[in-house]
Amino acid sequence: MLLRPAYALAALAALSGSARADDPLHTLIDQHVGAAIKSAGVTPAPQADDATLVRRLTLDLVGRIPTTTEVDAYVKSDDANKRATLVDRLIASPGFARHQAAQFEVMLNPDGGGRRGGAALGEYLRGAMTAGKSWDRVYRELMLPDESDATMKGAADFLKARLADPDKLTNDVSVSFFGVNVSCAQCHDHPLVKDWTQDHFYGMKAFLVRTYDAGGMLAERGFGLAKHKANKGPEKVAPMMFLTGTKLDDPTAREMTKEEQKKEKELVEASKKEKKAPPPPAFSARARLVEVSLKDGNADFFARSIVNRMWHRFLGSGFVNPLDQMHSENPPSHPELLAALAKDTAAHGYDLKRLVSGIVMSQTYSRSSHYPTEATPDRRLFAVAALKPFTPLQLSTSLKIAAADPAQFEGKKAAEFEKLVEQMEGGGRGFASLIAQPTDNFQVGVGEALLFSNGDRVTREFLTDGGNTVLGRVKAMTDKKAAVALLVRTAYGRAPTDAESTALVAYVEGRADRPAEAYRQVLWALVTAPEFRFVY
Amino acid sequence: MPSPFFCGSDAHRVSRRGFFGAAAAAGVAADMTGLNVLGSPALASELRRGQKRVILLWLAGGSSQLETFDPKPGAPTGGPFRAIQTDVPGLQISELMPKMATRMKDVCLIRGLNTRNGDHGSGAKLMMRGRRDEPSLRYPDLGAVVAREMGRADSQVPDYVTFYTQTEGRSFAPGDSGFLGARYAPMELTTNNTPEFIRRLDSITETDHRERAELRNMLGRDFVRGRTSDALGSHAEAYGRVRGIMGSERLFDVSQESQRTRDRYGPTQFGQQALIARRLVEAGVPFVRVARAWWDSHGQNFETHQEMVPELDHVMATLIDDLKERNLLNDVMVVTLAEFGRTPGINASLGRDHFASAWSMTMTGASAKGGAVWGRTDPRGQTVTHEEVNAANLFATIYAALGISPHKNYYVGSRPIPLVDPGAEPIEALVK
Repeated sequence: MLLRPAYALAALAALSGSARADDPLHTLIDQHVGAAIKSAGVTPAPQADDATLVRRLTLDLVGRIPTTTEVDAYVKSDDANKRATLVDRLIASPGFARHQAAQFEVMLNPDGGGRRGGAALGEYLRGAMTAGKSWDRVYRELMLPDESDATMKGAADFLKARLADPDKLTNDVSVSFFGVNVSCAQCHDHPLVKDWTQDHFYGMKAFLVRTYDAGGMLAERGFGLAKHKANKGPEKVAPMMFLTGTKLDDPTAREMTKEEQKKEKELVEASKKEKKAPPPPAFSARARLVEVSLKDGNADFFARSIVNRMWHRFLGSGFVNPLDQMHSENPPSHPELLAALAKDTAAHGYDLKRLVSGIVMSQTYSRSSHYPTEATPDRRLFAVAALKPFTPLQLSTSLKIAAADPAQFEGKKAAEFEKLVEQMEGGGRGFASLIAQPTDNFQVGVGEALLFSNGDRVTREFLTDGGNTVLGRVKAMTDKKAAVALLVRTAYGRAPTDAESTALVAYVEGRADRPAEAYRQVLWALVTAPEFRFVY
Repeated sequence: MPSPFFCGSDAHRVSRRGFFGAAAAAGVAADMTGLNVLGSPALASELRRGQKRVILLWLAGGSSQLETFDPKPGAPTGGPFRAIQTDVPGLQISELMPKMATRMKDVCLIRGLNTRNGDHGSGAKLMMRGRRDEPSLRYPDLGAVVAREMGRADSQVPDYVTFYTQTEGRSFAPGDSGFLGARYAPMELTTNNTPEFIRRLDSITETDHRERAELRNMLGRDFVRGRTSDALGSHAEAYGRVRGIMGSERLFDVSQESQRTRDRYGPTQFGQQALIARRLVEAGVPFVRVARAWWDSHGQNFETHQEMVPELDHVMATLIDDLKERNLLNDVMVVTLAEFGRTPGINASLGRDHFASAWSMTMTGASAKGGAVWGRTDPRGQTVTHEEVNAANLFATIYAALGISPHKNYYVGSRPIPLVDPGAEPIEALVK
């Protein structure tokens, strides 16, 4: 449902004079979102408690549940600055680079659950996130990769996986970096969205149509044409044109001659033999796209799209939904805020960490997902935190942590701790491949429930009771109440309620002949229950 | 063991359960694991009234229309087999299908398919969906759409089952729920006839398996209060269906059928899987695909078809008879379809190649009109001369014959997505 225009106007009125450009990002966010909530006459959910917040931050930033040590440290701390300290620590940790890279990989290759181009793209993205590269730099490297640089091999996979289909390449570039799906305009001017005409689709294609596969290497011609035929009328040659309508003079728009076709064949043969890409053209249309798309006046698409995507990643839905439908007929829920965040992000060199930190430090982010009355406020107000289903890797890594003896994590130096977590993440990767990647409107299938209920792998990988496992630890405990409390704390990061404690202890006592089995089933019940499956 | 937190939850589940409430009222345990779904007349009649179901016989690799439903005897392209008269006046089919020749009164035959895609991979995608994927939108296939339209939220049986045991071409045509997502993803059987994860592991007892699920429900009870989300609802629903689906394991077991029935379907894998498909639709599974591979007869087309068509003839005829005898043919549609047909031209290896411009398919049952023939090809079978049908028209017709409006919209975000491409209409003459 769209917000009624009145909301937006009222929100604007409420803001005048209160939000200033030099406010910290999180303040800016809260002022805008708060004003819209207020003018909608809605009571927002209260702030989440500390245990919920540390779980949410850890899952969203580094892709796993927190250990009991991390939860306790956060909950018990009376440092007024503890949230900022936690956010800084998580953002600086290697887990942040891995988790955000995994999210970007899915964003860039949604069809393959993130794996279409092979593992190399993921490796590149992890490197880029570890090095703290800005988003415009990642964009440049993906669009203009230098394959002779071994560290850039993976970056080239984004384009290389799409070379067989220039129409798909055109659309995927527009979707990934500009939040614009122009595929509807491929066959006709968009029937509903006046922003997108065939000229836009083919204008974008003109930048990319010269890129080709030279025997497994990425190459580009110094000339080429994107042609299109409207439903009626003659065939037209499309000039290079960015989504804003900015056209480029293009002296090189022409067909290939027979001679050039022959020459290209030889070039392809040569690059196959030497495993080296043909030399780049003097005039690179693709480089012009990157240049023109980041220019003042055009860069709005790029900036707004990354802001919208990061907001979606942390808040569960975007200012604009779906993420690839950013156009005038689909206005954002908070136009002013989106504009302000886009402006700030561009002004700070597309620094992702600044944007992420701004979002997760806001009170908007840290609201409770619990809203006790019947009528939940419109999702687009962000008055209640959304539930976010785990990604496959969030689920498998979190299962590993819930299954581990929490004593393993205690007293470890930061580097050792990170190494252990990385090992656990690696160990869960195979299992993660069995889990569906969540999308908007995601629904869990019965296949997952059957896998957890009857899959041997779940038992073998997460429910064993050997050394270093929480089940190994509890089976040696004599106090059943303390044992089930430990299981609840490792899985949920909180103490059991009285009712839970009573029921779980009764379950274990009813199986006095097989306590190890009983605890295994308790852990199974904990990790298959909804409290484990969602970021809440 | 008494479990106080469990009290009442079953009653809730039963009251939500629509017709399964009848089973509970009749004194059957609310937990469906042990329930004989087939044996309950109350359930069977409920199913009979409303829900349409589909069995798709997927002729993977592309069967030849000339050696099945559109023979051209005597033409240079006709091949060695004769045509025989059927029970529909004026309609002849290949002599390789004598059993179907006496049952064409029930069959709706389309001979005018021109689907313009002769590639195994993208052709199979097209013919499972009725349309091409967009660059950034993956459409659900026929199975997922039927599962979504005909499946019940709390169904005790799977929604979409697909058998594809041979390896040839399997990766070209996986079942795929596209943007409908994991909720409607198929249960895929490739290595044997029992689904994965449907059976309790030996390492846990029946009681523990059931009671740990109750423990799980108890743990989620507080959490879901005050939280609403479709994903959260689907999670509960998925686990809520586990015990029922485990109970449906027996549906996959042909030994539950009499020897006579099993013999009737024949000893082949295709026959046995068709029998399982019948058991599944009878118990309410909305969509079952049985793939038979590999029809891709680039060489030795006539030997291949001489071997495979009689099997198809037998299995299809048996399935139709069986459904009819069980009074199910008004609700269950049997479809034969492939990614494309085969060239009229015969190549140097006495094979026929990929051909998508004039081929055939059939629909039998539900509201597909029996005895109808749509589309005509020229004397050599090179082109469709009358009543051409593309993939979108075909799917519109299939949906219409199942009582599903082809113009119904699904929503991806706020974007309406009609079930078939805009402008495609069903062929009215083929729908009862």
